[in-house]
Amino acid sequence: MNRLAVLAAAAAAVFAVTAPFLLKPFGIYLISMWAVLTIAAIGLNLTLGYAGQVSLAQGAFVGIGAYTVALLTQAGFPFSFAFVAAGILCFAVGWVLGYPALRVQHHYLAFVTLAFTTLIFLVLRNEEWLTGGIYGINGIARPAFFGWSTAKALDFYYFSLGMLAVLALATWWMLRSPWGRAFVALRENPIRALSLGLDTRRYTLMAFAIGSSLGGLSGALYAPLVQFIEPASFALGLSFNLLLMVIVGGSGYFFGPFIGALIAVLLPEWMRITQGYYLIVYAALVMVMMAFCPAGILGLAERALKAFAPRVKEAAP
Amino acid sequence: MSAVLQVSNLRKSFGGITAVDSVSFEVREGEILGIIGPNGSGKSTLFNCVLGQLLPNGGEVRVDGKPTTGMRPCDLNRLGVSRTFQLLQVFPQLSVRDNLILAGQEHQGSMVSRLIGRADAGLGGAADTMIEFFRLSHLSEEPAGLLSYGQQKLLDAAMAFMAGPRLVLLDEPAGGVNLTMQAYHAERKATFVVIEHQMEFVMALCTRVLVLAEGRIIAEGAPQAIRRDPAVIEAYLGH
Repeated sequence: MNRLAVLAAAAAAVFAVTAPFLLKPFGIYLISMWAVLTIAAIGLNLTLGYAGQVSLAQGAFVGIGAYTVALLTQAGFPFSFAFVAAGILCFAVGWVLGYPALRVQHHYLAFVTLAFTTLIFLVLRNEEWLTGGIYGINGIARPAFFGWSTAKALDFYYFSLGMLAVLALATWWMLRSPWGRAFVALRENPIRALSLGLDTRRYTLMAFAIGSSLGGLSGALYAPLVQFIEPASFALGLSFNLLLMVIVGGSGYFFGPFIGALIAVLLPEWMRITQGYYLIVYAALVMVMMAFCPAGILGLAERALKAFAPRVKEAAP
Repeated sequence: MSAVLQVSNLRKSFGGITAVDSVSFEVREGEILGIIGPNGSGKSTLFNCVLGQLLPNGGEVRVDGKPTTGMRPCDLNRLGVSRTFQLLQVFPQLSVRDNLILAGQEHQGSMVSRLIGRADAGLGGAADTMIEFFRLSHLSEEPAGLLSYGQQKLLDAAMAFMAGPRLVLLDEPAGGVNLTMQAYHAERKATFVVIEHQMEFVMALCTRVLVLAEGRIIAEGAPQAIRRDPAVIEAYLGH
């Protein structure tokens, strides 16, 4: 990371902390949603952007995490326990879902993970005894820690932002470790990686498991944020939306998911002034963006920086 | 001298075509064995069967007397067997330095120590030495994909040497790699198997030569003797 990227990240952090004071309650809800979904997008960016494994299952993991927290907290377990349980459960399920990736790649893998997302949706909808079926689960409480209640929108935002910071930092640490190098090697040339002693099987499963685990932790915050969950929220649409965040922000760039999630959460809201046309406008904007900068916004920024200042090598790690 | 690599009766067929047909040979400690043969004679398939990239249909491979047939390439690599590919194989988006660290990191510590330990896995110094040795210092932080073909070829070879292997299999190294191979050979007493087309290279560097044609070994011996072998001349010129 160079100085410019650090500066931009610091400015963004200051903005993230001060932003809620300029916003109405609905605005605070939206930026909380941004913080929560960014965590899931970071996970998908790890699996897809760094390790090169296509997944359309990230939305399903957000769902598994959300239902785990909803069910466990309503059964009387503390939130922190439920939160950790959601992460561990999604790690385990993600590890198992990684096995198909050892056999199939690219669009074939996309279909396997797409089938998984549909499967989870059906389980959430049909297993009424556990999940409440189409009625969902209502009245999910926001947690309190050592007397600090996150029940209010502002408090919950700071809680989500804090969790985002912690998880992003942990991911950053992992990506700069030899593991991060191994993930990129997996994406760029798995056969050569194998011949250099990389256990590509283990790293592929790890990429899936850790990415899925971040999806689960995102869901664990999603449940108390919206306080009402139902199966349709975690259908294929969410997985596609998370994929969009990663691609639009810049797949394989550390800060890509932050920007992608910001666009995917805020743009549809800003577009509401166009009344019934907002989805059409949103779709058109995404298409234009993909046509002109397939490497995402950070890919475009990097290209621009290189063009204007040849000495600046990279806009992002 | 003991055998570092023993290959016995190795067979590999693709459908009706037998690419490697009952090939047996030994590679002795410290030697540079050349494998030559016309295009399509099965040289690369032989390499891939020895190195676990392909599963042979029959026969056995042993490294230091230990059976390794069907062993995964990553496990074989950690036994000290390293290779390059015929076509360039670097990681284009990683920097030159990261390519080299990657090539050695799996030989350091465990999965856990690689996660929580140092970012360069303690290999930064070794990588810099290697970069200097291959005269790539000015390109150390550049993405490997931006290097010229020749520079990438050097990096590719440097990666094969990074983990300090005792047996290196080079599939058609280009000119620039020869000198570095010689230097590494002299310094580390490593053992080499080289697939090569250029006769000059083979004659100058190899201590022993195998000639492969249509999946079989048709001649074996010192470079000078091979050059005069009628079967070899027939294989190269007869068609």
